[in-house]
Amino acid sequence: MNKVIIDGLSFALPLFIMAIGGIYSERSGITNLALEGLQGAGAFVGALVAILLMNKLGPDSQIPYYVAMVCAMIGGMLYSLLHAVLCVKFKADQVISGVVINILAMALTTFLTKSINRTVFGAPSDKFVLGVSARWTVPGISKIPVLGAVFTNIYPFEVIIIVIAAIAWYLLYRTKFGLHLRACGDNPHAVDAAGIDVAKVRFKAVMMSGALSGLAGMAFAYSISANYSSSIYVGYGYLAIAALIFGNWKIMPTLGACLLFGLAKSGGYQIVQAAGMPSSYSDLVMILPYVLTLLLLVFFSKHNNAPRALGEIYDKGKR
Amino acid sequence: MKQKVDPLTKFFVKLLGNEKHQKFTIPVFAIVLSLIVGAVVIAFLGKNPLSAYWNLLQGSGIAPKARYAGGKSMLTDFFSFMNYWTPMIFASLSVAVALKAGLFNIGISGQMLTAGFITTVMIGYSTLSAPIAKPLVIMIGLIAGGLVGGLIGVLKYKFNINEVVSSIMLNYIAEYIIAFFINTKYVDPVSRQSKAVSDASRLTLMNVQIGDLKFEIPLGIILAILVAFFIRFLFEKTTIGYELKAVGANGKAALYAGINVGKNVILAMTISGALAGIAGVTYYMGYFASIQPKVLSSTGFDAIAVSLLGNSNPIGILFSSFLITVIGKGSTYMSSTAGLDAEIASVITGLILLFSACGAFIQYKVKRGKDRIEDAAKQAGNGKEAK
Amino acid sequence: MSDYIVEMKNITKKFPGIVANDSVNIQIKKGEIYALLGENGAGKSTLMSMLFGMYEPDEGEIFVRGKKETISSPNYATQLNIGMVHQHFKLVSNYTIAENIIMGVEPQKKFLGILPYVDIKSSNQKIADLSKKYGLEVEPTKRIEEVNVSIQQRVEILKMLYREAEILIFDEPTAILTPQEIEFLLDIIRGLRDAGKTIILITHKLEEIKKVADRCAILCRGKLIDVLDVASTSTKEMANKMVGREVSFETEKPEAEYGAEVLSVQNLTVRDENKFEVVKNVSFSIRSGEILAIAGVSGNGQIEIADAIAGLAHVSEGKILLNGKDITHYNIRKRTLEGISYIPEDRQTYGLVLDFTLCDNLALKNYYQEPFAKKGIINHQEFEKFGEKLIEEYDIRSGQGNKTEVRSMSGGNQQKAIIAREVEQDSSLTIFVQPTRGLDIGAIENIHNQIIEERSKGKAILLISLELEEVMNLADTIAVIYNGEILKTAEAKSLTVKEVGEFMMGVKSE
Repeated sequence: MNKVIIDGLSFALPLFIMAIGGIYSERSGITNLALEGLQGAGAFVGALVAILLMNKLGPDSQIPYYVAMVCAMIGGMLYSLLHAVLCVKFKADQVISGVVINILAMALTTFLTKSINRTVFGAPSDKFVLGVSARWTVPGISKIPVLGAVFTNIYPFEVIIIVIAAIAWYLLYRTKFGLHLRACGDNPHAVDAAGIDVAKVRFKAVMMSGALSGLAGMAFAYSISANYSSSIYVGYGYLAIAALIFGNWKIMPTLGACLLFGLAKSGGYQIVQAAGMPSSYSDLVMILPYVLTLLLLVFFSKHNNAPRALGEIYDKGKR
Repeated sequence: MKQKVDPLTKFFVKLLGNEKHQKFTIPVFAIVLSLIVGAVVIAFLGKNPLSAYWNLLQGSGIAPKARYAGGKSMLTDFFSFMNYWTPMIFASLSVAVALKAGLFNIGISGQMLTAGFITTVMIGYSTLSAPIAKPLVIMIGLIAGGLVGGLIGVLKYKFNINEVVSSIMLNYIAEYIIAFFINTKYVDPVSRQSKAVSDASRLTLMNVQIGDLKFEIPLGIILAILVAFFIRFLFEKTTIGYELKAVGANGKAALYAGINVGKNVILAMTISGALAGIAGVTYYMGYFASIQPKVLSSTGFDAIAVSLLGNSNPIGILFSSFLITVIGKGSTYMSSTAGLDAEIASVITGLILLFSACGAFIQYKVKRGKDRIEDAAKQAGNGKEAK
Repeated sequence: MSDYIVEMKNITKKFPGIVANDSVNIQIKKGEIYALLGENGAGKSTLMSMLFGMYEPDEGEIFVRGKKETISSPNYATQLNIGMVHQHFKLVSNYTIAENIIMGVEPQKKFLGILPYVDIKSSNQKIADLSKKYGLEVEPTKRIEEVNVSIQQRVEILKMLYREAEILIFDEPTAILTPQEIEFLLDIIRGLRDAGKTIILITHKLEEIKKVADRCAILCRGKLIDVLDVASTSTKEMANKMVGREVSFETEKPEAEYGAEVLSVQNLTVRDENKFEVVKNVSFSIRSGEILAIAGVSGNGQIEIADAIAGLAHVSEGKILLNGKDITHYNIRKRTLEGISYIPEDRQTYGLVLDFTLCDNLALKNYYQEPFAKKGIINHQEFEKFGEKLIEEYDIRSGQGNKTEVRSMSGGNQQKAIIAREVEQDSSLTIFVQPTRGLDIGAIENIHNQIIEERSKGKAILLISLELEEVMNLADTIAVIYNGEILKTAEAKSLTVKEVGEFMMGVKSE
């Protein structure tokens, strides 16, 4: 049971922070199917910086871990500029742009990983080996039955994510910037009339989604595989989108959806292991989050309140 | 106020300004732009981009290689190129049909895999003779793909589920379930893939000896070209095509006109899925004879680039799929000769995709430039009159 | 120091293909109500958009309080104390009234002295005070989607006042209001003038100008025709100058000759997605040769009635009979075949496929029938033949005839195309929803004559319009809808504008 919660959280929280990124973008009116690519591209940058640092500082240092998180956010943010430029400036179809960006991210990072490994590190490999991050256990509280599991074997990124999520919530719902951002997704003309630059707000929103996705990607790279490779593209970006749809584009309900995905996944694994099934059965368990997503979408998609201006190209001249 | 038009704008307007030819000139512009960016990347890695691109043509049997192994020639290379081209055409037509109806089928890889797996198990491992097995493979592939596509259509229409999200979910579900069955039941312990299908059921005739050359003959290529023309006929000349286009261009107006929107959404996804299904059988039971578990083919994603590049026009797709296949197929040879990672091919494809997505913007920019030039010309004319 | 608060000198603005303003000169005094009169497309809104910084003029100069200004953005206009209420409100529907008003100039406080946040509490109070001061009552904490258009307009006015605007521009403010709401608004406008504000009123309605304006500038096709002193000029004179020719205010209409009952709506109830009753137990009938108009303020269920008859909205309860046949459960196509034509309110969303060519759009209702298609195979020549015939008959103007993409056509010609297609169906019932919205006077006359002509042919006509003038002009019978219910059905001649207005507000019921 404890293991279910520990693993569930370490999957749900990165998903959550990525979904918040998606909420930022979509509440500003930009459909963002590019989360998948953004998290991969961000994690690529983070992982690259981490191994460069690891070579300098030795394997025991924890510095690369935190620097990687920051660089992944920067990398995701920079890569998301592509989506922002395409959607905001070039007025491209937002769905197509998102998918294009995912495909390009996968091609580019796979190619670069291989090329950099060969040319810089002189080793033909298609991954960056990162090692497993340290884990923390809060003394005392962790002894509480069931609830204690929440405080046991925490990855440091989980703490980072919770802090950033809290800031993101405050920024979106309490500040001027958040007020403008959410207005852009409902009626950009109103925002424009209030003397606020819609394009700028949307640019920032998309960049925010890039940064948060990059962080999520880096967290996945450190937790699930302990290395960076193209196996990071397994649809978590789309799961995050599904989560924010159930969450009705609001942060707190989205957290619920993410926890559900995380627990379903870790719960499934535990069942396979507990029942002593052969490892190939874990493939069947892997489909659980996806099946769950489809089922939930069947029940929740009909009556959702997507932002009114979502996906619409904003043309100043058009009234 | 005097307006001046910079020479660069003038140049681009001259190059791309003709609206009648834009369907053709803008994709070509996108391709050239991507090839230039790709060349920069290659040059940055210290290789010669021109020879790398030449290698792509050589690898596809379009340009002659320096030497050939026994039984091989440029012609056999080109046949094996067509073998790879065939599923690409079907997959791209699949994207195009959905796009015309305003839908985005990104689940083609999953639909291909599903069709490929079902036919492998049902026909590939049977003892049926070739004249029965081959048509059955196509029929069953078509039905399997069509059902998956249709399901996405139903989810979209009945439950308002974004088809991009649902088809991605179905991709992963198919990937893992099929991996499970292959690993538990049909695995070849040496290759770690599914056991090879029978030659009788395979859609490509392998090792056909003509003279002293050995050919791979893809039977599907003829069907692919026929289907491309059929799809064009469907959209240009039939009421079904008219309805699909109306639904794609403006669903509400289509509803108002009395068109059954739900039926058409499901129909479009079913046709799209069926085409993906045929793509799947020409891929897994033609180009290949087995399935690698837990891997989705890149063809289903490259097909999106092909379709965007070809303006979703079936005949345009024949050309654009040819180009993308050259890049994909030729990359293996390029990788071995030039020492470049084969993945550069997908980078270039990704770039083409990126620039194609900007097509509307390029068109808009050119139009603006054109208006500015005309305005400037008018002003110059007025100025003279005033004097 | 000049006497004028705003001067616009030799303003010229060109858009591709048209000259929106052609060296226009206007001068506005502080504290007056200055009206800009002109048809749609005369250049009134463009002129004011330049004063508000949304466009920059190609030529000419703008002086505000005697000082030459380059107004490069609405922000700068706001700094100059210029405010504008746009024709289409610019409000965020899921925000509260207060949030909408403060957006862009939010008061901030700091949480724990460091974290800035938007101080909504003090804004609510400030807005409540402001609304009392000017008699514009609103509840600051209500969401925009919960209040009606007249309140939304007050929010727009408060937005300007909150920003301390001195020069207030109103763009067609009365288009969406009931007669009583118009009176109220005009009172407010007078009150604002008396409080020392300068008002610029863009409109094409003459009575309003007569009622409130001090002076009136008339624009026609981008040119300033004249500036008149309102008190000493007749409406007739203003109208003639505006159109550039003699205009008749009323459409000539022959005496009605009613035939058999064509449409009978019985106890119709329509519910929206949230199960809310938007049409409640409505009954009426239309005879052949009769125009029945449903009058009402926007959003009171009239569109849903039209949609329910045409098959676009689901009928929850009740019956719809066409020529005696129960069509309640027919699908859209079957209804069309039974004889219903429908000119929808939103011509670009419902009426047309903008990316299709003109001839493909003209065949939108017939494409599957012979001779357009046989056994599912389309005959393009028949499409073109039909297209050419309609273009000729209905005078639809476009760049490349049949092959024109409808998106590139003007609004008036788009509407002509829809009317051509629908009238050509030769249906026994034709539904017109807001048929003249956004069109200029010439086009409006044309469409009104077409409606009368259909009536003379013995068709039954259901007209749904927010323009009371149009309803009074055309209708044989008027049904007034309020909040989903029909409060009154009577012969048009027996009702006055004032009475209809009262029913529209739900004030008067029997």
